[in-house]
Amino acid sequence: MNEYYYEDIEVGKKESFTVTVTASMLDAFKDISGDVNPLHCNEDFAKKEGYEGRVAYGMLTASFLSALAGVYLPGKYSLIQSVEIKFAKPVYIGDELTVTGEVIEKNDTFGLIIIKVSITSSSGNKVCRGKMQIGVKQRTA
Amino acid sequence: MTREELFEQINEIFRDVFDDDTLVITDGTNSEDIEDWDSLEHINLVVAMEKRFNMKFNIKEVGQLKNVGEMADLILSRM
Repeated sequence: MNEYYYEDIEVGKKESFTVTVTASMLDAFKDISGDVNPLHCNEDFAKKEGYEGRVAYGMLTASFLSALAGVYLPGKYSLIQSVEIKFAKPVYIGDELTVTGEVIEKNDTFGLIIIKVSITSSSGNKVCRGKMQIGVKQRTA
Repeated sequence: MTREELFEQINEIFRDVFDDDTLVITDGTNSEDIEDWDSLEHINLVVAMEKRFNMKFNIKEVGQLKNVGEMADLILSRM
């Protein structure tokens, strides 16, 4: 886990990690969220609707942004304040996702950073993009 | 910039931050008057004002502000 303080971070700083979406992740997310929509749970239904298979929950994909902030950028000393995202393409079981964040703005008054986020699948599709506002602990605080 | 002109710009910022084109801000407007004005939106308001007016505040001075009129006075004092 990274332990960046606010002062350690400059605009342009970038971090990324990869994760593979599994069927058990979708099942666990169904149990946690209560979203039993068949697009995510039923292979036959999803295919009849024109998809390759069960579509991963958008919010499951977005949940990796929690790890991006809490583990990588800035890591230990972070508090997510807001997330604005768009789901551009469907994600399927077996997709390897690359989750990337880049600092595009800092605010010294409140010790917060804005990071541009993107999640790209192994096929090269950008499946999710957006911005996060994250409070970061200051050494002087 | 006159105080009236400044208020027009502050009003625009409030409408943008709270996504409400009907908001009308006065000197006495404070967080009690706008339902969604919580600590997070307060941060967003101040950040938006820093950007719009190209100035920096410190956490202590913005924490002491009681209403929008005091915010306007602070901005005018920096111009």
